[in-house]
Amino acid sequence: MHTSRVYKGIRGEGVFRAATVGALALLCLFFTGILASLFTYTDWGTLVSTLFSREIFLAIRLSVVTATVATVISVLIGIPAAYAISHAEFRGKSVVDTILDLPIVVSPVALGAALLVFFNNPVGMGIEKYFMRFVFEVPGIVLAQFTVVSALSVRLMKTTFDSIDPRFEQVGRTLGCSKVSVFFRVTLPLARNGLIASCILTWARAVGEFGATITLAGAMKPKTETLPVAIFLSLSTADIEKAIAVIITLVAISAAALLVLRKIGKRGFPV
Amino acid sequence: MIEIRDVQVRLGKFTLRDINLKIREGEYFVILGPTGAGKTVILEAIAGLCRIRRGKIQINGEDATNMPPERRRIAYVPQDYALFPFLNVLENIRFGLKGKKQADADVDRRIDHLAHLLGISHLLERHVGNLSGGEKQRVALARALVTSPRILLLDEPLSNLDISTAKYLRLELERFHQELGITTVHVTHNLMEAEELADRIAIISAGKLEQVGTREDIFLSPCNETVSNFIGAPNILSCEKCSDLGHGLIEAVCGGVPIILPNEGREVRKIALFPRDIYVSAINPPGPSLNRFRGLVMKIEPFSSLARLKVKVGDNVLLAEMPKSAMEEMAIDVGREVYLIFKIRGIRIV
Repeated sequence: MHTSRVYKGIRGEGVFRAATVGALALLCLFFTGILASLFTYTDWGTLVSTLFSREIFLAIRLSVVTATVATVISVLIGIPAAYAISHAEFRGKSVVDTILDLPIVVSPVALGAALLVFFNNPVGMGIEKYFMRFVFEVPGIVLAQFTVVSALSVRLMKTTFDSIDPRFEQVGRTLGCSKVSVFFRVTLPLARNGLIASCILTWARAVGEFGATITLAGAMKPKTETLPVAIFLSLSTADIEKAIAVIITLVAISAAALLVLRKIGKRGFPV
Repeated sequence: MIEIRDVQVRLGKFTLRDINLKIREGEYFVILGPTGAGKTVILEAIAGLCRIRRGKIQINGEDATNMPPERRRIAYVPQDYALFPFLNVLENIRFGLKGKKQADADVDRRIDHLAHLLGISHLLERHVGNLSGGEKQRVALARALVTSPRILLLDEPLSNLDISTAKYLRLELERFHQELGITTVHVTHNLMEAEELADRIAIISAGKLEQVGTREDIFLSPCNETVSNFIGAPNILSCEKCSDLGHGLIEAVCGGVPIILPNEGREVRKIALFPRDIYVSAINPPGPSLNRFRGLVMKIEPFSSLARLKVKVGDNVLLAEMPKSAMEEMAIDVGREVYLIFKIRGIRIV
């Protein structure tokens, strides 16, 4: 009786292990299969020549530059905002938290459309006229990317600040640091790895942003043609080789970002 | 001197109620209490790390109630030491000196002195992640003391250490305090730690200060049942006669009962004997008859999973503890004669 129960237990464990590992293998196969299929459609010669074309180069440059600017702005605003939502206790904190989460869950196309509507009202038109043009312009790409990624950036950085033991800051205060000084001398160095990881993820997400960008900045070659827009334009003109070259570029950029992220994740502090 | 008057702190559902304390200049003051009693909150209130709802804190006659922590000149060593993991040992120690107008030579001399005193000179270039618990504690102490604070706050400084390191560091803390003479407030839940280190002890339970006094005050006259239970409800016996037996032992006669205990080289007037250090048996157990006495069970009270027995031995009525199941097995009841054995290491001179 007892032996049979043990045997059943072992068999149950085996089934469970097979089910979980099987699901994992299926997912990996699915993604690698999709990526591998890209290489079956075209030959290497066409792929390489398309990859090094001027149009792709311009799309890469535009994507990298706009994503970097959007990330820098997101981080500059995101660090203090994330610190505030992580540390400050105030009435309506959950409402603020929800507002910050909205851009993460709302469709980027909807955000882009909202921005478009905003620039059609008097305030938006005033900004367009006297400050800077966004609609169907390069700054529009940055704004669209910022709108989509800033909330993600704040959320990631808040998680980093939440994970810091308040004792470090308390000890810093007793060692003569003011609140501001403790932020720069204790909190930021402790959050460094988490903040870098947040920056990379934010940047990678900005590079891949499509919905809000195409809605606000349009799809004008080469003016507002970022990498995702280039894929869209290539597919719409049935230029599959070019679309594949851009997809591979985008995947390579994202993979590089994730590799750097893994490296940072492993670094940590040996406490 | 630290004077805490009617201080009340509320943290979520926990409230620290009307704390009144006076901690003297140069004193080693221990706040003793069970986990969750509010010991750390008192330290945080002194250091200015939590908001006080009501009351006043004065440090050396100056009102510090609303003073920011960085201006209080109070050093704080938390339970987990909170050494900055992005700095090495030397940089950790130097942390509090940055921006202070002091000559580099003075700073170096001070760090050298402290590193020597705390025995960490060889660790200065090491990363804090590679230190043992005891080493971390010394580095945290050096970092705290290098700024020449007027008060040192220690939150459970020995609780993360193994027994032998904790025992060694207990002696070291005593030595540092004697050498530096700094007012020290030490928080612990460990009675022995408090006994060995404290000039005075404050007992706190459920956010309320129960009793403040010397070790003897607390042992000889616990002010209520909470204190008595927390310190283990010791039996206090007055000694009528005391004689040296040689071999490091003495015999103290208390209420007509001759008790043998280690000779600590001081006069024995009273001894404390904890109920947990008295073994109760219905039959005369085998083994040496040292500190073995016959007694009569006067009263039995339940005490969580244990039973507390009041047993008359000679002229004394002693409180002893035993598991309920063992008591039932041995059919011990009121009016029955039992044998008591006192653990020699559990007998303390007070």
